[in-house]
Amino acid sequence: MEFKLPMTTKVYIDALNQKFNQSPDLIHKVFDIKGQSIVIHFISYQIKKERLDREILEPLTSSRKPWSVNDLQNRIPLASSKAETNLEEIAGQIIHGSVAVYIEGEKEVITYLLADQEQRSLERAETESLVFGPQVSFTESLITNLNVVRWRLDTDDLVMKKLIVGERIPTEVRIVYLKSLTNEENVETITQRIEDLVVDEIEDTSVLSQLIEDSSSTVFPQLIATELPDRFCHSLMKGRVGVMVDKSPTVLIGPVSLFSFFESTEDLYMRWNMGTFMRLLRILAMMLSIILTPMYVAALTYHYEVIPGSLLVSLGQSRATVPFPPVLEALLLETLIELLREAGARLPTKVGQTMGIVGGIVLGQAAVKAGFTSNILIIIIALSALASFTAPSYLMGTAIRVIRFPMIILAGAWGLIGIAFALCFLVLHLLKLSSLGRPYLAPVYPLSIKDFSDSIIRLPFNKNPKRPTSTMPKDPDRFDENKAKQKKDVNPS
Amino acid sequence: MKINYYVKQDVAVHAFYLFFLVHTVQIGAGLMGVPRIIFSESGTDAWMSLILAGIYIHFTAWIMVLVLREYESADVLGIQCDLFGMFIGKVIGCLYVVYLFFLLLSVIKNYVEVVQVFIFPEIPIWLMSFFLLFLMIYCLLGGIRTVVGACFIFFLLTIWLVFTLYKPISLMNWDHFLPIGQSTPFEVLKGAYKTTYSLLGFEVILFVYPYIKNKKAVHLPIQSAIFLTIFLTMLVMVVSIGYFSPDQLKETVWATLALFKIVSFSIIERFDFIAVALWMMVIIPNLVIIGWMILHSLNRMFYVSKKKSLFMISGLLFLASLIIEYRSYINLLTDWTAKIGFWLVFVYPLFIYFILQIKKLWRKGKRA
Repeated sequence: MEFKLPMTTKVYIDALNQKFNQSPDLIHKVFDIKGQSIVIHFISYQIKKERLDREILEPLTSSRKPWSVNDLQNRIPLASSKAETNLEEIAGQIIHGSVAVYIEGEKEVITYLLADQEQRSLERAETESLVFGPQVSFTESLITNLNVVRWRLDTDDLVMKKLIVGERIPTEVRIVYLKSLTNEENVETITQRIEDLVVDEIEDTSVLSQLIEDSSSTVFPQLIATELPDRFCHSLMKGRVGVMVDKSPTVLIGPVSLFSFFESTEDLYMRWNMGTFMRLLRILAMMLSIILTPMYVAALTYHYEVIPGSLLVSLGQSRATVPFPPVLEALLLETLIELLREAGARLPTKVGQTMGIVGGIVLGQAAVKAGFTSNILIIIIALSALASFTAPSYLMGTAIRVIRFPMIILAGAWGLIGIAFALCFLVLHLLKLSSLGRPYLAPVYPLSIKDFSDSIIRLPFNKNPKRPTSTMPKDPDRFDENKAKQKKDVNPS
Repeated sequence: MKINYYVKQDVAVHAFYLFFLVHTVQIGAGLMGVPRIIFSESGTDAWMSLILAGIYIHFTAWIMVLVLREYESADVLGIQCDLFGMFIGKVIGCLYVVYLFFLLLSVIKNYVEVVQVFIFPEIPIWLMSFFLLFLMIYCLLGGIRTVVGACFIFFLLTIWLVFTLYKPISLMNWDHFLPIGQSTPFEVLKGAYKTTYSLLGFEVILFVYPYIKNKKAVHLPIQSAIFLTIFLTMLVMVVSIGYFSPDQLKETVWATLALFKIVSFSIIERFDFIAVALWMMVIIPNLVIIGWMILHSLNRMFYVSKKKSLFMISGLLFLASLIIEYRSYINLLTDWTAKIGFWLVFVYPLFIYFILQIKKLWRKGKRA
C-alpha cells in the first residue's frame, strides 16, 4: 500500500502499525478536538512522558481553534520539531524517541523529539585511571562525549564530521579534528576507510579500530583507543585525528607511533623530569617484560656459561628439585599468571582481591615448596608481568604479554639464537607497520631528533614549541619559541 | 633497458640514510676475522696496510660518485649499458649478480659457522640458513624503505658493542706493535689487498643512487660511513694485536668475537655468547642490502618481478648453504668472492671513470 498523505486517521494508524509489525510498544492516541481528528504515536519507553503531557498534550487539547500544521509548529514551538511526509522517516523518528502528531487531512506529520535514553553520568576513568590530573572519562552516549570534547576544546576550529556506518543497524561515527592544524591527508585516509566499510553493525570503537587499521594480522594496535577526554584532546592538539562512535565509551586516535602507547597524559601533569623518567621507565619495562623470561630459559637450557658462578650456585640450588626443563617451567608459570589476570578481570572486585592473594601468594609459594618451579623464576615472571602492566594502553600491555610466549618457546628450542631471531623479527615487523600510512616507529625511523622532545622523553613545555612532525601538522608551531624564553617579574628587585 | 632510472618520491631515500646503508653493509661477516688475516700478511705493520686500504677505498667511493654524477639518475647497470652497449653491459651486470650471490652466500656461511663454533655446536645448518633467509625475505618484501630502516635500526641496536671493548683495551700490551717497519712494502700491500673481503659492500652506492632524494649531498654520508668502517676495523685490529700474543692471534680465526670473551658484567659472565647472538643484527643488514641489490639488478636488466626472484634466490641460497659443508670450502668461497669483488668493486669503477673521461674528450674533439 502506498503511503501518501493526506489520508484518514484509520488508514494512517494501520499503515504505521504495519510498519512496526503490530508491535505492542507502539502506542497511538486519537483525540477528537472540535470535530477534528488528531493522532499521536510514540513508543512508551523511549520518551519522557511528563514532557509529552506538559509540552504537547496540554496545549493541544486546551485549544479552542481547530489545528493545522502551521498552527502546530507556531503554537507548540519545540526546538526539535520536524515536518515529515515519508513513512520511513516517521517510523525512524518514532524509534529514536519522537512523538508523531498527525492532523487528519493535512499533508505533513509533525514529530517532536522527546527522547529519554538510559545513560550513565560522567564517571571516573576505570581502565586508564590517573593518580594526578583530570579524572573524568567518556561515557556510552555520543552526545555527552561530544559535549565533553566541545567543552575542553572551546574553539570554532573544531570539526566533527558525521558519518553513518552499518547497513542493518546504522551507527553514528564522528571524525573529530582541528581544522587549521590537522593534515587533510590524515582526515581523508580515515574518512575514506570508514566510508568504504560494508558491515552489519559497529559494536564498539575497538571493532571499528580493527576494521580500519593498516594491518589486521599483527598483535600490535595501530590506533590508540582511550577513554580519557584529556588524552583525546591533547592528541588532537598534536595534529592527530580522533574518531568517536555512538554507544561506545572509548575513542580512537590516529596516526600514532609505537611510542605513543607508552605516553600517559600524567607525564604532562607531572614536572618534565619526572615525566621523562616515567616514559623511559615504561619503555624499559616493555623491553624487560619481553626479554627476561626467555633469557632465563635460554641461559638455563643451553648457556650456563653466561651466568656468573655465584649466581649459578643459588640458581642450581633452587632448581635442584624441579623435574621439568626450564621451558616447561616458564610456560607453566606464565600461564598461571595469565590465568590469574584473566580470572581477576572476570570476577567481581571483592572476590578478585581474594583471587589475587590466593593465586599470587599461596599458589606461588606452594609451587616452589612442591618443587615445581624455582624461586628465581617466580621473581622473574612476577617482574615481567608487573612490567607489562605499566603500559598506559591496555591493548599494548596485552600485546606485549602475548609476544612473550613464542619468544619463550624459541628460547627453549634454540637458546640465544632463538631469542636473537625473535628480536630481529620483531624489529623488522615493527618497521613494516604503519598507522594510517604513517611510519609506526617514528620518531626513531624515520629519524626526527626534534620529535624526541615529546615522545620518548618529555622536555619542559617552553623548550618544546613544535608539534610532532610525524603527523605532518599544517601548523607546526605551538607557540613562539623566543617569547617563551622571556619570563618577567613585575617588580624586579 | 633505459639508462636512467627514476623512482617515485614516496620510495626515495634521504641521503642521510646512505651513511647507515654503506656502513652496515661493510661491517658484517668480514669484520669477525679480519685481524688475523691482515696480521698474517703484514705482521706488526698491519695498521699500515689498513690505512693504505682505507685511503684507497675513500678514493674509490669518491670516483664512484663522480661516475654517477655524469648521469641524471642512473645506476651502474644503466651506465655500463650506455658505455659498452646493451649486450656487454648486461653481461657485466650478470657478473655483478653472480658476485653478489656469492657474497651473500659467504656471509650466511660464515655466520652459521661462527654460531656453531661459539655457542651452538649442534644447531643444524639448514635451521640457521632458514632463520637468516626468513628474516631476509620478510624484510625485502617491505621494499627499499624497510631495507633502509632495518640498516638504521640494527645499527643503533648494535653499535654499543664497540664500548664493551674497553676491557680488552685496558689489557693491551703495546710492545706487540714493535718493531715498526719490519715487513716489506710488498707485504704491506698484500695485507691491504687482504682487507678486501671485510670492506666490500660499499658498491651499494652504485645501485642505490637513483633512489636518493637529495643527490647533491651524497659525498658526506658515504665518506663518513667509510671512515667509520675503517675506524672500527682499525680499532678491532689494533686491540686484537695488542691483546693477543702474535702466536695466539695466528690461531684465532674470529679474533674480533674472541675479544668479547674477556668482557663480563655482574649478571653476564661470558659476554661473547650475547655478542655472537647479537651479531645476527649485524648480519641482517648485510643480507637485506645485498639481497636488495640482486633483486634490483635482475629487475632492471631482465624485468623479473622482485617477488619471484626473491623466492628463487632464497631457494638457491638455501640449497647452496646446505651443499657447502666444510670449513675449507667456506674459505675457498670467501677467497673467490674477495677476488671477484676486488676487480668489480675496487678496479672496475676506476675503469668506467676512465672510459667516461675519454668519451667526453672525444666528444669535445668532435665538436671542435
